[in-house]
Amino acid sequence: MLSCGIDVGARTVKVVVLENGRIRGRAIRVAGLQVEDDVAAALKEAAAGEVRTIVATGSGREAVKEARQRPTGITCAARGIHFLLPEARMVIDVGAEEGRAIQCEGGRALNFAVNEKCAAGAGTFIETMSRTLEIAVDGFGPLALQSTKLVPMNAQCAVFAESEVVSLIHEKTPKQDIARAVCDAMAGRIGSMCRRLAITPPVALVGGVAKNTAFVRALENDLKTDLTIPPDAEYVSAIGAALIAAEEH
Amino acid sequence: MDFETFRRHGRGRHDYARDWKKRTGGKVVGTFCTYVPEEILAAGGVLPVRILGSHEPADDAEPYVFGMFCPFSRDCISQAIRGRYDYLDGTVLAQTCLHIRNTFWSWQKVNPGRFHYYMCFPIKVQSPRAVDYATGEMRAFRAAFEKWLGRPLADAQIRDAIRVCDENRALLEEIYGLRKDPHPPLTGREAMEMVLAGQLMDKREHNQLLRQALAALRTRRLERDPGVRLMIVGSEDDDTEFIGTTEELGCTIVVDEHCTGTRYFLNRTPDDPDPMRALARRYVGKPPCPSRDWDARTRTDRTLQLARDYNVQGALLVQQKFCDPHELDIPAIKSTLERNGIPTLFLEFDVTIPFGQFRTRIEAFLEMIRAEALF
Repeated sequence: MLSCGIDVGARTVKVVVLENGRIRGRAIRVAGLQVEDDVAAALKEAAAGEVRTIVATGSGREAVKEARQRPTGITCAARGIHFLLPEARMVIDVGAEEGRAIQCEGGRALNFAVNEKCAAGAGTFIETMSRTLEIAVDGFGPLALQSTKLVPMNAQCAVFAESEVVSLIHEKTPKQDIARAVCDAMAGRIGSMCRRLAITPPVALVGGVAKNTAFVRALENDLKTDLTIPPDAEYVSAIGAALIAAEEH
Repeated sequence: MDFETFRRHGRGRHDYARDWKKRTGGKVVGTFCTYVPEEILAAGGVLPVRILGSHEPADDAEPYVFGMFCPFSRDCISQAIRGRYDYLDGTVLAQTCLHIRNTFWSWQKVNPGRFHYYMCFPIKVQSPRAVDYATGEMRAFRAAFEKWLGRPLADAQIRDAIRVCDENRALLEEIYGLRKDPHPPLTGREAMEMVLAGQLMDKREHNQLLRQALAALRTRRLERDPGVRLMIVGSEDDDTEFIGTTEELGCTIVVDEHCTGTRYFLNRTPDDPDPMRALARRYVGKPPCPSRDWDARTRTDRTLQLARDYNVQGALLVQQKFCDPHELDIPAIKSTLERNGIPTLFLEFDVTIPFGQFRTRIEAFLEMIRAEALF
């Protein structure tokens, strides 16, 4: 009996298929203008068999017409992290266009904070800065880790931060130092958001930005706590949705 | 009873005021803040109209109000710039926060030569000298108003206006009381529309509508599932669209603690041989705005009491962006409510609201409350 969770995020569609409490398939696709097509393609890739129940989550969850339920990403992330790391008491999810912190226990969200106004606290910020620095997104974190110099970035906004980066480029600041400054600034934003709640270890970090090793180090320094990045960190909300779908059976 | 009537009066506020002027020949005065004694204006045959925004981008406010002043103050002055309040014969401000004071002063630049009165209402309403001080200010306002009107007011006229306003408050309180029911007979949106209409209409006409509404509500049963019982706490909030859309997510706003709701109408005018002192006692004693709640922060306990009285499961803490008085209060209110088992969700309001983003947060908040209820 296959249950499916679909997380329609701002940048990507993630699909997870569960069978008897185990992950049987997963797929990720870039979300385009015809998101329904991307959902269908990801579902076809992930599911080898008939899916009985679908639950959709994420900012584009309304696009999944066949979904039985459409819970928020906050509820799903709390469920998903309990599946992957039952001991986690806080999950920080940094995606393309939103960052959020969730206090959780037993698969339930107890409290949450969302950064939805400031682009300097979301993955798109790293992408923009990658373009400005003319480096690949995947290489951003490793490059920043080579830095030995702290360069403060004061800008409160992604657009002005880009101006600040351009100024640093003009001053011939080494790329690795600028990359580190970007990661530190972003970690500062996310750290502020987390402190709106109490920091309750063990803390898990999920979402696409969890792949950026320099950001992870910066956030650990900011929060003064270790972060655990589970396998399938990008799929946490989709896993949570799939678990909710399984309960529907 | 057609409950849409209140909505129509709210949306058509300017048409109502213009029509009222035409049919009564009376003057209309705009009020800033709920501490302006409407009774004195009404006693002189003047229609008091609360000045509110329109929830449209207020870019034209820029030369008058600083960009980091609250969106409500910018939205209000924008209305004057666009000529939407041209029918006003004057404005009255009761001493309040700096942002609204700025709007009041700017208003005089946009609409000069009319009756503009700054009433110096006490900021520290808990002071034992506040009533004496406010009585003096009531007398000064009455004198200035009489001079502008060109005739003195009789005490009997003021007492009659007090009676009408107190009836209005009693009716609203009775209607609010019906919302304590597990199946409230009216939505939060309808309740807000009722209170708002009262700040824009002739009180006698509003009382007539409220009496009809109260009679109808006693037997009314809404088909909708009330869902999670929420309260809304915060600064100026007249966004009925926000309330309505929120309630479509599976909840009902059963009570509020803001100045376009309970802080406007809870408490009555005490008996006093001097009507000016009676008014001072009523306004000094009304549920305070956070800019006046000194030294003790009494709003916190009042909010908790309202939450308990209305069996609230969660609270939306809404705040106009850059509103310092509310920024001061919210941490204490949040912690008090949460300590007493009432979760909160903070939302920062701007002139226009990004409901798509708010929606996810409100839905997650409701999911959290529902999950808690299951365990």
